[in-house]
Amino acid sequence: MKKILKSIQWLLFTVLVLIAITWFVWMPSAQEPAYVLEKTWGGKGSAAGQFNEPTGIAVQGNEVFVSDSRNHRIQVFDLDGTALRQFGVNNLERPMNLTIANNELYVADYFADQIRVFSLQGDYRRSIGKPGTGPGELTIPGGVAVASNGDLYVSGFTNQRVQRLRADGSFVRQWGITGEVGTFGGKLRYPTDVALSKNGTLYIADGYNDRVLAIGPDGKLLTKWGGPFAINIFGSFNGWFTTITGISVGPSGNVFVADFYNDRVQKFTRDGSFLNAFGIKSTGPTHTTIAVAEAEDGSVFVADYANHQIQKWRPGRAHI
Amino acid sequence: MKLSLIKTLLLFTAITLLWSNFSFAAGIQYNMRVDGLACPFCAYGIEKKFTKTEGVDSVDIDLQKGLVIVKTREGKTFREEKLKEIINDAGFTMKSVTEKDL
Repeated sequence: MKKILKSIQWLLFTVLVLIAITWFVWMPSAQEPAYVLEKTWGGKGSAAGQFNEPTGIAVQGNEVFVSDSRNHRIQVFDLDGTALRQFGVNNLERPMNLTIANNELYVADYFADQIRVFSLQGDYRRSIGKPGTGPGELTIPGGVAVASNGDLYVSGFTNQRVQRLRADGSFVRQWGITGEVGTFGGKLRYPTDVALSKNGTLYIADGYNDRVLAIGPDGKLLTKWGGPFAINIFGSFNGWFTTITGISVGPSGNVFVADFYNDRVQKFTRDGSFLNAFGIKSTGPTHTTIAVAEAEDGSVFVADYANHQIQKWRPGRAHI
Repeated sequence: MKLSLIKTLLLFTAITLLWSNFSFAAGIQYNMRVDGLACPFCAYGIEKKFTKTEGVDSVDIDLQKGLVIVKTREGKTFREEKLKEIINDAGFTMKSVTEKDL
């Protein structure tokens, strides 16, 4: 009897230790003051300043670029939400995540299976890629990142891969196995977006694996994060995800992740340490936070899919 | 009297044929229940598949009810297996389908 009691005691002790480890390692606390919602703008519609399902966002200087998906256009605003211009109606079918590089706007067009490139003023320049599953071909591209030499990194949602392409669209290499869904063995599960840091680290939003993969300039995995062991365990704790739909690297080098089903942005250091989380809770049936971008002044802009609006957040002040 | 009866019958037959032809020529609306439509990456994927399928007139996603609503062009019908295949290709499973004439 004494032996059994002792065994139970040990078992309880072990469980408590495991819970404590889990709590400290996989449920980190915020490392910064809370972000503050400064304003929102938009609303459902097709007039200038309104949206019909915004799905992508990028910031350059004092301008915010938004994918207005069902209106088949890009809208541009100043940092306070004043509508400046719109373009793309004749060139875009279903624009998704955006990136700005080398003074051009790159748009992942989900329905056209191409990357559309515009000047920042809105002049259509060119298209990259063609539909298909072969090397260099695109199927349902959700996001794009561009290196300083013009190379593109494109996430293919149903091709289960991220491809690196030359500026002319020719194939260089890929991560993930074409058409094969998985969590292990280098496989991806519906990758939605990609982002590049200034030092050449590629961040992959491995959407339905609920994790971020950081790939070094040599193409090898540096680190990964998202829940325990980053093996597709989803949830709403800090540092966990439930479907990532957008990722970006801010001017500060921090990584911002759109955690869609949790209705929030999560902010990390470049190596994946959790810093902060903020967002507007959805009232259903869909969700709010689909894409995110940081401005030079530290403001963070969020494409709010459910409410057809843009959210502007500013960093909170530390209490002295 | 006989001639009048024949005329009436002919007229009735013509109207019936015309009516049945109109019914046959109109499209069909399929309401498919699919789970997980809240994420636009998924919903757009299904929408795209149907938009690029021959004979489809329009595709709508009802997020509240979790429905994919497809309307076909005149005379175009889909077997349930085909609908399942299209949804499956987009990475989803069709739970059920109902149809009605337009």
